Order: sequence, then structure tokens, then C-alpha cells
Amino acid sequence: MLLKIYLKEMKDCFRDSRTLILTVLLPIIMMTGLTFFYEKMVSDDEGKTFTLAVDQSFSNQEEALFAPYEHIEFVHSENPEESLEEGEALAALKLSPDFIQSIENGEEASVTIIGNSFSQNSSNLMNILTNALTVYEKSVTTDRLQSQGTDLSVIQPFTINQKEMTNEDPNINLIALLIPLILSIAIGVGAGPAASDLFSGEKERKTMEALLMTPVSRSTLLFSKWLTIASVGAITGIITLIVVVLEIGLFTENLKKAVSFGDNAAIIISLAIIISIIYAMFTASLLMLTSIIGKTVKESQSYSSPIMMLAVFPTMIISGIGINELGFQHFAIPILNLFSLLKELLFGIIDAEHILLTIASNLVCIIIFFIIGRILFMKDKWVMN
Amino acid sequence: MIQIQEVTKQFKDKKKYVTALKHISFDVNKGEVVGLLGENGAGKTTLLRSIATLLTPTEGKVLVDGYDTVKNPEEIKKNIGVLFGGETGLYERLTARENLEYFASLYGLGKHETKVRIDELAKMFGMRDYLDRKVGGFSKGMRQKVAIARTLIHNPEIILFDEPTTGLDITSSNVFRQLVHQLKREEKTIVFSSHIMEEVSMLCDSVAMMHKGELVYHGNLEALYSQEGSRDLNYIFMSKLVRGGTDYAS
Repeated sequence: MLLKIYLKEMKDCFRDSRTLILTVLLPIIMMTGLTFFYEKMVSDDEGKTFTLAVDQSFSNQEEALFAPYEHIEFVHSENPEESLEEGEALAALKLSPDFIQSIENGEEASVTIIGNSFSQNSSNLMNILTNALTVYEKSVTTDRLQSQGTDLSVIQPFTINQKEMTNEDPNINLIALLIPLILSIAIGVGAGPAASDLFSGEKERKTMEALLMTPVSRSTLLFSKWLTIASVGAITGIITLIVVVLEIGLFTENLKKAVSFGDNAAIIISLAIIISIIYAMFTASLLMLTSIIGKTVKESQSYSSPIMMLAVFPTMIISGIGINELGFQHFAIPILNLFSLLKELLFGIIDAEHILLTIASNLVCIIIFFIIGRILFMKDKWVMN
Repeated sequence: MIQIQEVTKQFKDKKKYVTALKHISFDVNKGEVVGLLGENGAGKTTLLRSIATLLTPTEGKVLVDGYDTVKNPEEIKKNIGVLFGGETGLYERLTARENLEYFASLYGLGKHETKVRIDELAKMFGMRDYLDRKVGGFSKGMRQKVAIARTLIHNPEIILFDEPTTGLDITSSNVFRQLVHQLKREEKTIVFSSHIMEEVSMLCDSVAMMHKGELVYHGNLEALYSQEGSRDLNYIFMSKLVRGGTDYAS
């Protein structure tokens, strides 16, 4: 009986154009946009030219300081600061008169870099300029010390070596944040219409009464409807993952480099699919409750909107946390554990304990929501308008 | 066939209790057609929902074919068909046939039995031309026929109709009236609510008149006519309310 109801509900759901758009089309559009946007964002600025405003007196000798950085295009201006403000350049460089000459003569010289730290491009150019000038500063210091017969170690008592814990591409952190966010939103948005339709929609159309008049138990009806919502959510989640995997694999270079899982690719993708299904089941339980409480589809949708917003909080919590800092609480709290586990998986880490904890905590919540749903569904007040 | 014993139903509405049914008692015999008469809010739908096992009485009990609606709802549901409203209870994205097949499967009918039954009902209601079209595009009359067919798909012995002809045109209403005559010939037990006196007068063996949750009158229609010295059911209904005191008439 359960299968009969489930198959009918699935058929009914997928005949609804809203379901088709939200479960298939939306994930494809969202993930495509996201993939290409971040591919562009994480590209290492190859071939990109930064315009730098300099004085008319800016000499070739001074320009040579920045020779290793090919992407700087110099814009000679009477007033570099004004050129920057007018958008003719990304940053402006002001050197004191006879800059090189002054340094060589041991006289005082100064450099002013003007830019806009709120602009990514301007900020990048300012960093390039600072690096180039730091290198020049060091070479001048070394020359001066050597000419005075002083060893370099006098001003450099020790060296600092910075080493990264993992060899992962830094871009993976960004992807580890965005994939769960889009996935959770896609599952919520995909399962939403089905959830509203299956309980409050049936109440509104009075099909619920006809259904309750059949000898099928209310528990069977409840379970088959929940299973339908969970299936629609899971299909959306799986489509989202397939789209992102295919697009990263086929159409990107930098993102592809960042998410290379090596021999574990199949296991990690399978685990990501399982986690998506578990999350779809969790979302379905919550959406089922809002739909039972809602008297109409509109009312149910009003109640379910905050559920879609829940995914925003883990993004904020987890964005600044490294994978080594992820602890029990990150895998025990539903929704947050979707983000935590997918972050681990994207870093190529497969931790059985964390996977089991995530699944168990979601299942416990699903059971609790299901019990609440059953209590409500058994009461006349919540099944008939 | 149906025994309604001292049934009271209260609903909680914002910390207040609203009494929809007040100590209602009457019996419906097998093969009898009973009309539930009353204004809007009289308690007709609540009573039908209680008989249909959808609502649990606050006090009293309803027995259908000897089964208690609270203790044995599953047994009752196998043998009862309910239509709330003239054209409701259909899935718009499914075809008429898919709607009927779905409900047949919920009532446990086999594939062959379902096919035979759908063919019978399609012939009975002239639905063959649109049986495989989606219900979403149907007119009111077409929907009503499919909804009635859905109610009868498992060939129930007891049939409950809640204001089945409200909002329907003359042709569609006549389809329903013909159906009641046919079901009567098949000795089905029918209870239907209406506020159309002519319809009740034309189709029913007995009537139950309700007002503000109370049973004003229950009995044989012919006996009522001779008792009141009139065959004008509308007049009788109004005079029953007036004679019932200011409470009824208000």
C-alpha cells in the first residue's frame, strides 16, 4: 500500500511544472552560475593588467623596479591621485623627487601608495607594489651593510619559515563553503512545493478527506507522503551534486585542480550523495510539519520559508574554522554537520566517526519530527479545515 | 445500519468551546435514504463526518453496521463511500482514470476488478470520452461525475453525500438525482445533507432536521406530511423551527 501511495504521489509531484523547474532546472542554473563565477574569481589573474598612475617625472630607472611584474601598465599623469579618483587607474604611486638618486646618495626618500582596499583589483595591485618595493628596500639595505663591512645577520637574527598544514589548494575552502550552502538551499527549495502540496494542499483541495475515508492507516499516509517529499529533495540534491561535479570536471581548470580527490574520488562522491539524501530526509521532516500545520498552501509556504534560511547560519559559523578544528558539536548539530562533513570530504578526509555521528544525529531528529508529525496528523484539527 | 446515539461534538476555538452537535440520536435502516436538512452551520457536515469516522464525538457514539466509529474505523471505511461537496476530492494533475485507479487501490481492489468497476461507472455516468484526460481541465459537471464515481468505486453499502448539488447546474444536479434513485433500487443506505427542500422531498424516505446542532425532527417523510397536513417541506421546516421556540427561530 505504501508503495502504491508513494508512486502516485511521485507521479503527481512530477506532473507539477513547479516541481520540475525547482528540482531539475534550478540546481542546474544555480550550480552553473556558481561554478563559473568562482572559477573566474579564483583564477590567478593570468593575463590581467593592472593600471598604475604615476607622475610625469616617473623615470625608466624607477619603472625597472617593477620589471618582474609584467602586468602593470603605467599611466603617466600630472596628478596620479586625481587619475585614480577618476577611475583611470587602480592605484597611484607617488615617489619623492629623484627617488633612485636620493637613495643611492644615502639621502631621505619616500614612497606613497594610494589605492582602494575595498576593491579586489586595487588591493592586489597595492600588494604587488608593496612587495616590489620591499624587495628593493632589502637589496638597498644589504648593499649599504656590505659596503660598511657589516654582516647581514646583524639585522636578521633569525628567519621565519611558514608551512601550511595541508598541501590543499586554498580555493578548496571557498568551495567547501559554497557547495553545502547551494546544496541545502536547492534541497529546501526543491522539496518545498511538494511538501506544501502533499498536506496543506490536500486539505485545501479537500482530497485529504477522501484519502482519510479509505481504509489506509494515517501512519501509512503520513510515511508515504514524507517519503515523497524526501525523494523530491534527494533528487534535487543528487542533480545538484552531479551538475557541480560534471561542470568542475569538464569546464574548469582552477576549481578542478582544487578538488582533485585522487583514488578516493568515487568514495567521496558516494558519501556526498548519501549525506545529501540524509539531509533531504531531515528537511522533508521539517517541511512535513509546516505543511501539516498550514491550513492552505500559502500558509504552509509562509511557515516553511524560515527553514530555507536555516542554511545561512552554518555558513557564518563554519567559514573561519579549519578542518582540524572541527569537533563533536560540528557533526552533532543537524544542518551544521552537512557543512562540516562536506568540508571534510572536499578536503579529501574520510572520517567514519564523523560520518556516523552526522547520520545518527540527523536520524534522531527525523524520528522526533516524525513522531510530532504523527501526533498532529492523528488529530482532527490538523487534518481537516 | 447506522445508529447515532446521544452524539455531542465540541470544537475548541481560541480557548472557547463551540458545540456543533448536541445530543443527537436517530437510526438509519438498511436501504433507507435519509435527508439531513438544515441551514448553514446547523451541524450537518459535522454529523456526516462523525458517521464517516473522520471526527471523534466528544460524547455519545455512532455505530455503523454494528461497528463503533471510534473503535473500528477501518472496518467501517471498507463499506462506506463519502462525497463531501459536489466536485471535490480529485487530483487535478491525474486523469479521471488515474484518480479512480488510485482510490480503487486504496480500497484494496485488484487490477481486474478495478478495470471492470471503472468501465461500469464510466458507462453509468457517460465519462468514457474524458476518462483519460487530466481532471484539471474538466467542467464542474464532469468533475462531479468523477467525484461520485470515486465515492462508489468500491461499491459501498453506505453512501454519505454532503450537499452534493450545491453550485451545480440543473443537468449536473439531475445526474445526481438519477444516481440516488438507482442506488435506492440497489438497496444502498444513503444519507445526504441539503438545504434544497425539493431535492429532499423528491429523493428521501425520511428526514432529519437540524438547527444549531440540535435535532429538531427525525422521521418518515410521508408521516411528517400527514402529521403537518402539508406537503410543503419548506413550510414544515420553518414551522418546526418556530414551534421549537425562540431558540430555534432566532
